[in-house]
Amino acid sequence: MAGTIVADTLQDGAGNSTAMDNAIYGSAKAWVNFNGSGGTIRASYNVSSITVSATGQFLVNLTNALSDANYAVIASASSTASNAAGGVNIMTGTPWSVLTPTTTQFGIVTPISTTTATALTYTCVAVFR
Amino acid sequence: MSQVIIYQNSNGNVSVCVPTGELPINEVLAKDAPAGAIIVDDSTLPQGADAQFFDAWKLNGSTVTVDFPTAQAHKLRDFNAAAVQVAQKRQLNTLAGIENTPSDADFTANLTAGRTAIASAKTTIDLVAIANPA
Repeated sequence: MAGTIVADTLQDGAGNSTAMDNAIYGSAKAWVNFNGSGGTIRASYNVSSITVSATGQFLVNLTNALSDANYAVIASASSTASNAAGGVNIMTGTPWSVLTPTTTQFGIVTPISTTTATALTYTCVAVFR
Repeated sequence: MSQVIIYQNSNGNVSVCVPTGELPINEVLAKDAPAGAIIVDDSTLPQGADAQFFDAWKLNGSTVTVDFPTAQAHKLRDFNAAAVQVAQKRQLNTLAGIENTPSDADFTANLTAGRTAIASAKTTIDLVAIANPA
């Protein structure tokens, strides 16, 4: 059943409350956990697919478009390999150029040097708006 | 066996679009991939050792193959970059040894040895040229 609850504040039975804005703007609008090596997706929300463009270079495609492209992306990556880097460049394309995000897509890169990317086992991304 | 979407990207390589399952793959194909992209079973993509040469994958019709000359060049490039890092680290170790020398005599000896080491260290080892001599 579709419906709408209109309220300014959320409150639990113990009296703890928070402004509705915190729920609306403070919750992730999309997230995904995937293996950068091979692109196997472990779990996701509002992500339709991950495109592997090159080793360590990905496009995250959103299922439902966001209201605009001014969202914030938080990402992390790590590997079981002890010598692997764990950084993530956000809104980045090939090669390390700014890839302008759209309401349905943005790029990330997991670099291992200034010119080379690497595929990391645990690559996680969350989007807030 | 899972299905994925593949297409030739602007770099001439292969992009692989992996659906999360939130939408049917045909909708993902229409939404997330350019015209000409196709759906294939991931078991048809290069497997095993060939899978590591992803940046050398080429799309021929609906078949993905590994372009081995490109794969070889990429591996040599990576090896070359690693060799440069080793050479640079050796130089830094040599300089650190000179700086920490206690006596003037040792300093002179280490300075001479350091100069020799730095002069002989290759900052770039061109393995591509070695592999493909003129």
